[in-house]
This record gives sequence, C-alpha cells and structure tokens, in this order.
Amino acid sequence: MAVPVTAATEPVRPVSARHFVRLKLRVMANNFRGQSWRVALFVAGVFVGVWFAVGGFLLLAAPGFAGEPRYALLAAAFGGGLLVLGWLLLPLVFFGVDETLDPARFALLPLPRRTLVGGMFAAAVVSVPVVATLIATTGLVVTAGALGGAVAGLVAAVGVVAGLLLCVAASRAVTSAFATMLRSRRVRDLAAVLLAVVAALFGPLQIMVLAAVREADWDRLVEVAAVVGWTPFGAPWTVGLDVAGGRAWAVPVKLLITAAAIGALLLWWSRSLESAMVGAAGAAPAKPRRGPVGGAVGQLFPRVLGGVRRDRFGALVARECRYWWRDARRRANLITLAVVGVFVPVLVNLGGNGFAVSPDQGFESSGSSSPVMLSVSMLTVGVLASVTLANQFGFDGSAYAANVVAGVPGRLELHARMAAFSVYVVPMLGVVAVLIAAILGEPGWIGVAAGTLLAAYGAGLAINGLVSVLGAYSLPETSNPFAMNTGAGMAKSLLTVLSMAGSAAAAVPMVVAAALLGASWLWLALPLGVAYGLGAALLGAYIGGDVLDRRQPELLATVTPRR
Amino acid sequence: MTGEHSALALRGLAKSFDGKVAVAGVDLDVPAGSFFGLLGPNGAGKTTSLSMAVGLLRPDQGRAWVLGHDVWGDPVRAKRLLGVMPDGVRLFDRLSGGELLAYHGLLRGMDPAVVDQRAAELLDVLALADAGRTLVVDYSAGMKKKIGLACALLHGPRLLVLDEPFEAVDPVSAALIRDILHRYVVGGGTVVFSSHVMEVVERLCSHVAILADGTIKRVGTLDEVRGERRLEEVFVEAVGGRTATGEELSWLSR
Repeated sequence: MAVPVTAATEPVRPVSARHFVRLKLRVMANNFRGQSWRVALFVAGVFVGVWFAVGGFLLLAAPGFAGEPRYALLAAAFGGGLLVLGWLLLPLVFFGVDETLDPARFALLPLPRRTLVGGMFAAAVVSVPVVATLIATTGLVVTAGALGGAVAGLVAAVGVVAGLLLCVAASRAVTSAFATMLRSRRVRDLAAVLLAVVAALFGPLQIMVLAAVREADWDRLVEVAAVVGWTPFGAPWTVGLDVAGGRAWAVPVKLLITAAAIGALLLWWSRSLESAMVGAAGAAPAKPRRGPVGGAVGQLFPRVLGGVRRDRFGALVARECRYWWRDARRRANLITLAVVGVFVPVLVNLGGNGFAVSPDQGFESSGSSSPVMLSVSMLTVGVLASVTLANQFGFDGSAYAANVVAGVPGRLELHARMAAFSVYVVPMLGVVAVLIAAILGEPGWIGVAAGTLLAAYGAGLAINGLVSVLGAYSLPETSNPFAMNTGAGMAKSLLTVLSMAGSAAAAVPMVVAAALLGASWLWLALPLGVAYGLGAALLGAYIGGDVLDRRQPELLATVTPRR
Repeated sequence: MTGEHSALALRGLAKSFDGKVAVAGVDLDVPAGSFFGLLGPNGAGKTTSLSMAVGLLRPDQGRAWVLGHDVWGDPVRAKRLLGVMPDGVRLFDRLSGGELLAYHGLLRGMDPAVVDQRAAELLDVLALADAGRTLVVDYSAGMKKKIGLACALLHGPRLLVLDEPFEAVDPVSAALIRDILHRYVVGGGTVVFSSHVMEVVERLCSHVAILADGTIKRVGTLDEVRGERRLEEVFVEAVGGRTATGEELSWLSR
C-alpha cells in the first residue's frame, strides 16, 4: 500500500562536518583498493611528512630546552609566519590542492553554504600535511611549557591548533580564489599581474630580512618578531610565549586576531567555492571570437608560427601552442614559471650578501656573486622550466586519444611538444638571462647565464620527455588548475623531485666548466650551452619517442581520469 | 579492392580490468559495405570492444584487422583506413571547430588546401559554421558529437567506427547524422556503431550484433537476428532483462 509522503513528515537529518570527513576518508580508502603502488606512495608520503615534522619539532622546541626566551620568540614568530606563508604559496607554486572532495559534486545537494564550507574545511584538515605540521608545531608547546610552565604550554597548544586551522583556511581560500580567477578568461590577466606582484614583493622583503640578518642586530630582529606576533602570521604561534613572558592579556587579543583571520578566509573561500560549484556547469562566457578570416588551417596556426610548415609536425606544434595559453592548468604553470624564473636567481645571487641598503643610493649590489654561483642559479631555473613537462600527457587527458587514433610517431610527438613549449620558454629564459646580468651589473655574464639556462633546459627536456612517457598520471577533469587526484600529490612530488635531480645532474657539466675554465668560459658558454641543450633534447626525444611508440595505448590509459 | 576482406574482423578479443572481466572473447566479422549496429546494455563491453578494435586499448588476448591490416601488428596501415569517434573521450576542446578539423586533417598527413576545403564543407553541412570561433569546450553536447563525427570523416576513411553516435543528440542533429552515415555507406564505406537505442538500429542497420556480459549473444543481418519479432524483444531476451511487477517502489505513487 502506498504511504503518502510529504516533506513535513519525513525527518531531515542534519548534515554535519563529520559526514564530510567520513566521506573523504572513504574516498581515500577506495582509491587505495587494489592499487598497491598507491598505498606505497602514500606510505612514502607519510614518511617524508614525519621526517620534516620531526625536524621542525626539534627546531621549534630547541629554544625551550635551551631556556632562551628571545630565540623562542624568533622561532615562534618567524617559524610560524613562514609556515603560514608556505601553506599560502606552496600549493599555488608547487603542490596543488588535494581535491578529493570536488565542490562541484555538491552543487545539487540541498546544503546551506555554511554547512558546506564547514564540512569541506573539516575534510581539508584531515590530511598528511596537516598532521605533519601539527607534529612540528608541538615544538612550540614544548618551548612554552619549558619556559612558562603548564599553563603557558596549554595556551600554546590552543594557539597551535588555531594556527593550524589558519594555515588550512589560507591555503584553501587562496587556491580557490586563484582557480576562479584563472578559470574566467576575462580576469586571467589580472591574476597574472597579481601573481607577479606577489613575486615582486619577495624582492624587497628579502632585502629587508637580509639587511636585518647581516647586521646581526638581535634586538631589532626581536622587535620585528614581536610585531609579526601581532599579525595573523605570528599571532597564533606566540600566545604561549606571551603567557610565559607575563603578558597574559595579549592572549585573548591574539586569539581573536587569529579567529578573525580564519573567519575572513572562510568567508572568502565560501564566495569562490560557490562560483566553483556552478562554474563547472557554465562559467565560460561563450562570446563569439573573432579572428583572421581564412581557412581552418590558417586559424589553427598562431601568428608566431607563420613560417612553420603546414604538416603533421606543424599541426602538433600549433595545437600545443594554443593549449599552453588556453588551458587554465597549463597557463597557471606558465605564469608560475615566469614568476619563479625571475625570483630564484635573484634570491640565489643576492642571497649570501647581496644588497646593501644605503640611505642615499637606494640599493647597490655588493658584487660578490660569481659565474659559478650564477651558473647554479641558472641551472635551477632551466630545470624548473623543463620540469613543467614532466606530466605533459596528463594535461591532455583522454583527448590524447586523437593522436593515438591518428598514429602519431613517438619522436614526432615529443619533438613537437618540446618545440611548442620552447616557443614560450626560450624567450622567457632570454629575458631572465638579460635581467639577471643587468641586476648584477655584469653585462659580460649574459652569455654564461643564457648558455647555462639553455643547456639545463635542453637536458631537462630530455629527462622530462622520458619521465612524461613512463611516469604519466591522470589529472582530475575539474576546472581548478590546482586540483590533484588523491594520492597523485605524492606521485607528483616524487616524480618532480626525481626528474629535477636527473635534469640537474645532466646539466652539471655547465657548472663544472664555469668553475674550471675561467674567463674563456664567458665566451664559450653560450654556443656550447646551446649545442649541449639541443643535443640533449634531441637525444631524449630519440629515446623517449621509441618508448612512446611501444606504449601509446598504455599511456592513454594512465592519463585518462577514472570516472 | 577489398572484396576478400571483412571491413573489420575481431578474433577472440578479451580484456579484464583489475581481475574483473570486461570483454570475454569477442569474434566478429563486419562485411565491407555494411551498416553494422553493435547493441548492448550499459556495461556490456561495447566501448571496451570497440577501443580494442581501433587501437586505443591493448587487448589481453585476441587480434583485430581493418580491411585485412592487423591493427596491433601494422597500426599505420590500419589506422589510415580508419575513422573513429570514441565515446567518453574528450576532444582537444580548447580549439575552435575549424581549428580542431585542421589539426585532425594535418595529423592525417592531408594537404592543407584539401583540409581547408573539406573542413569548410563539413562545418557547413553539419550546421556548425555559425559557431564561428567558439571553442569546442563551449559547444553543446549535440554539437560536440557532430564535430567529433566531422573529425572522423575528414580524411575519407574506408571504415567508420562510432561509439554511441546518437547519445545526447537532439532529433534534428540525429537525422542529419543518420543522413550523412547513410550516404557514406551507399558510397561504399562501412559503418560500425554502438548503441542501445533499438529504433535507430532497426531503421539504419543492415547487420546487428548483440553484446552482453562481454560476449556476443546474437549476430547476423537484421532480419536474421530479429526474425518475426521486434528487435527489442530479441534484445531483452538475449540480455536477460527483467520486467517490473508493479509491487516495488510503491512509495513513488501518492
């Protein structure tokens, strides 16, 4: 017999954060089922996490054991601040976000936004990095306890938990906001500018910190640390020390600052979360695009590639070029690369004893960098540039099937992909070389910089060409360019580290030459570097292409997201 | 030219994923010039079988030939004669329709002038010319199917393998696709497509095969398979479906 059903009689059980956490754990567990390599990767990730956690713990707990309140404040304020900064920026630059629970999947469920954000937040807290950070920051509790007794320790524990929540909220809010920005085609340039500004801030900040450190004026540093302690970056981490130092009144204020920051971040996140949910359905403003009138072939080729032959190779290069700009995920990589490419060499070359801040002249370089130092930093940039291609087939996803069906030969495929990426990267590297030489005030070093860059980049292309064929993994088909599949975060990090080490090793001869050859290297570096890079890339494509020919269908299967 | 060979021949194709058997030995001969429908319920192994037949998925066992060329032994020759529209596979959808066609054409080693001319014609016939330079990712589902079909047709293959070409397609587009495929077969081509819509298969096909649980249950010309009955009855019987009794789900009616 049919029972009449109305909304009023059916009890609706409230959904709590607990459900989200359990859902996340269940999804993670199901991902491991029957995939022993994923379990292995996860375990490896846990070990790496514990390793760093214990290191951080010892660093943060040391001032407590030594009984040094001044160092304790420095460690808490700067260490904690760096932690927040790391959580803020590392997902954008390097790691991506674990999007086990894709917000778009919740779009159809009748959930209030508050429940959704709370649940997603709770689920985000359940992760290896959070546990690792927790272990590390327990060091602060130990320090506070050692310096100020049990009450200080207890307050520090509360602060640490609050700080941890702040870290997670910050990383989620920022990646989500950036994802939204990069997704909409209209605002993407704004996002690029914003990233550039963030990068530009590193410079002055660095200089300030360096100046402070070099003068070894501990009093000034402690003053700065005290100020940082009143910002959201340092507030949660320093409350324990405030109790120990007899400034108990500061505790509620600092906790309030932290809570306000978390609240603001969550609010920000919930805004962009909503657009991520509906965005998946129809974010793209389908405005009619105008372009050069002409045949289909003419449309495919960007103007830069005007001289490229209209054949298979040309088509592959043209399509890749289009994709590096039109695909949000790839574009995010390119922008990040541009930013990192500028600030890493600045950091390395000016790092040791770079700028002196003199009141009348602004900055001046103290000129202690050397061609070897320069080569090392250029090698880093070249390697970072090429490592973008470590999962180049993963970017394509199942669309790669088109190339399999057409039977594209492996070498042609790799040559074309390298060429297309180089259309963007080689000019970028040229700018970096000129810029760094200008900043150092050594125009004669342009050759060394450019040569090393290109050699490292070419060697990296070779290594990453192979890695991309053998170690590809699928990326989730969401519009969030920072999203990662469960477990893929570890795979990605491992693969990245592996291919970076390989690429760096392959380019080391350039650094050795810089150290041994002296002045003549300034002239030889560019031609030799170009030849070395080109040769390495061609050799890599030769070997990698062969491998690709043999495992095209397998590669397609690994980059196709599981549905 | 290819009279002595089947357009598509499969022998003992088998595939399992993580110990679960998806396709358990499929034998099939698709005569040249036929309009061949591969019928099967969801999860029967249609997509897996067709993927193995066209070189997208390496089979655990078995072989496949396209007009006499071994797909896994001599892929270059086989793939040249083959046009494929996979299902559930993304296109390079950050390109506009015209760009995508140009990409496919050049990838097949065609002359740029021919690509231009055929692309314009295809876009026109499939009513996609109005989309202009809209990216394929912004196309509707039906438009995506049509541009996928255009990509498969562009290089003039002798065998077309289409996975679910009529899924999510509105009646107008479906009629258009049917018409194009019909003309293609009349012109000497061979079409193999998968579907679970009886009406389409009954209207179009000269031959059908019913696939369920990873094996072929029935195969032959349309008349051989359905005999005096309707195709749907034969299908449900072959697949082993159930009919609702009316007792369950009583809460659906108020």
